[in-house]
Amino acid sequence: MAAVADVEAGAQTPASATGPAARRRSFPVWRWVILLVAGAYFLIPLYAALRFAGLKAFGDIFKQSGFYPAIGLSLRLAVITTILTLVLMVPTIVYVHLRLPQIRRSMEGITILPIVIPPIVLIIGVLKVAPGFLLSTPYLLALVYVILAMPFAYRSLDAGLRAFDLKTMVEASNSLGASWPTTLWRVVLPNIRTAMLSATVLTVALVLGEFTMASLALYVTFPVWIVQFEQNSGPVSTAASLLALFVTWLLLMLIVTVGGRGARKRGGAQVALFTVAAPAESSQTTGEPE
Amino acid sequence: MTTNTARDAAADGIRQTGRTGGTSVSLQDLSRSFGTTRALDGLSLEIAPGELVALLGPSGCGKTTALRIVAGFESADTGAVLVDGKDISSVSAARRDMGMVFQSYSLFPNMNALDNVAFGLRMRKQGSAQRRRRAGELLDTVGLGPQAQQYPHQLSGGQQQRVALARALAIEPRVLLLDEPLSALDAKVRLQLREQIRTLQQRLGITTLFVTHDQEEALSMADRVGVMRQGKLEQIATPDVLYDDPATVFVAEFVGAMNRIPAELQASANPRTVAVLGSTVPVKDQEPPENQSESTVGGDGPVDVLVRPEGLTMQVVANGNGIVTHRTFLGSVTRVRVMLSGDVAVQIDKPSSEAAALAPGTSVSVTLPPEPVLIAPRRPATP
Repeated sequence: MAAVADVEAGAQTPASATGPAARRRSFPVWRWVILLVAGAYFLIPLYAALRFAGLKAFGDIFKQSGFYPAIGLSLRLAVITTILTLVLMVPTIVYVHLRLPQIRRSMEGITILPIVIPPIVLIIGVLKVAPGFLLSTPYLLALVYVILAMPFAYRSLDAGLRAFDLKTMVEASNSLGASWPTTLWRVVLPNIRTAMLSATVLTVALVLGEFTMASLALYVTFPVWIVQFEQNSGPVSTAASLLALFVTWLLLMLIVTVGGRGARKRGGAQVALFTVAAPAESSQTTGEPE
Repeated sequence: MTTNTARDAAADGIRQTGRTGGTSVSLQDLSRSFGTTRALDGLSLEIAPGELVALLGPSGCGKTTALRIVAGFESADTGAVLVDGKDISSVSAARRDMGMVFQSYSLFPNMNALDNVAFGLRMRKQGSAQRRRRAGELLDTVGLGPQAQQYPHQLSGGQQQRVALARALAIEPRVLLLDEPLSALDAKVRLQLREQIRTLQQRLGITTLFVTHDQEEALSMADRVGVMRQGKLEQIATPDVLYDDPATVFVAEFVGAMNRIPAELQASANPRTVAVLGSTVPVKDQEPPENQSESTVGGDGPVDVLVRPEGLTMQVVANGNGIVTHRTFLGSVTRVRVMLSGDVAVQIDKPSSEAAALAPGTSVSVTLPPEPVLIAPRRPATP
């Protein structure tokens, strides 16, 4: 192995003095330029907001009336939406992968619809047809957020399932005596843990940032509170926005780090929020006699 | 030596605790279609207790479908699978007690080698200590005791398949099912694992059904080999019978190398004879299988004689009936390609020590010994 590595390393050495190597050296410069431009595009507004709010405003956020109920509601909605999304989506996507692979394209089309349909159209429709007992509770929003999160959750889970040979794993598990629920719990879920973490992150981020639907449904979630509070104190409201951004970002980093550590241990993929997985589909086709 | 002793002891332990004596398996008139494709067309097969039967055939012949029906992953449209005389067609895969090794490395990536092997025992509610001890024994048996704590991605392909074999054996299966378990491995590892599987199977006496498209694998490992074509069993026999006495033209040409030499059938003679390569030789009694028009040969007229490379004799002569065009060294023998008059190419095996004199361009005389030969309808010349 070492010999192979040496040979490969040796083979690359002469190339480093040639034209392609010179072109390779010039690439990092362009990368830095693009990185700087993109970074400036994102960071300058954040810096401006930080300057406008001032550090003191961050401390004041927690003293404002309505802050805790709003953040509490948003967090509860995030938890409920995530649970509902995973409970609905994971078995569905596993079933589609195993038994109905031919409808995967249709599923991709259907799950993209919530992005195509404006949230305002969705929520007005829901408010018109939702039964009274649901209209009277803010948890109605969780049901709608499940729809909103579907495109992101579907893609994460779909990529996770494509990254390993689901059909063979399930058959191996069954042949060893495992029932369906056991197979799902002990074999499938541990191997799509990273994908589930990605779906969770995206769902939580979506719920913590959603304004239109909550506002139209007249529930004060954290984003709605920020907008309402802006009329009282612009700096505190801006600080709250930044805080929400940082908390979401920290959450993402935490999940990426934890998920990545687990995945590395098992030789799996890193956590990626929008993964286009290398398909391991060779044996996932059905109905192909041999 | 110590390792071998440990493996033997572990295998003995498994044999003592396992279900020895073997299980009989009977596939009765299995048919299965996928859309318009008929994957299995009335397949029947009997496997004796402790026997290793290989199903061999080209892609799409239905061999994997047959295995999957036995495993319970597919259901047959018609027919039944009997294990020890009991119809298990309605029993789920999880309750069939069949160990399966898949073509792709099917180890659970989230579990180390030991936990993979112990998985089936866990499903059978064995205690933690007991199943870990037994999984450890099995890993010793396949020579992977030191790798017990490693995850699948840390093991080579051959090691992964050995863990998969240990995992399948751990549940003391009634039947072991092998779905092309060696096809993803490199040649050397394949050879080692082939021997290991056969040795273990014989030691444990487990009835085994093995699916492969590699005839060398099938012929070297199996007690009997079934050659499949278009969902049907063309012939099932011991490897030597399959090679020396193929029942059909398809089997003759699928198993091993085979020459086709144009000849003239003299059907009126008793026994029938063919005129080929300047001599007249008797024709083997052939039982054409049903619906097998290809091998049905009628009256007098042109036919092809089927003869293996070692069945032809060749001598260097001036102005012979053939010219050597190519030589392929295969170790103890060399395969010599000869172009006969009429643009007929044949392959002839010669001991490598004698093949040195057969350089390309050498004129040779190719003859057929007066042994009964297999015949087939004349194949139209390819343009």
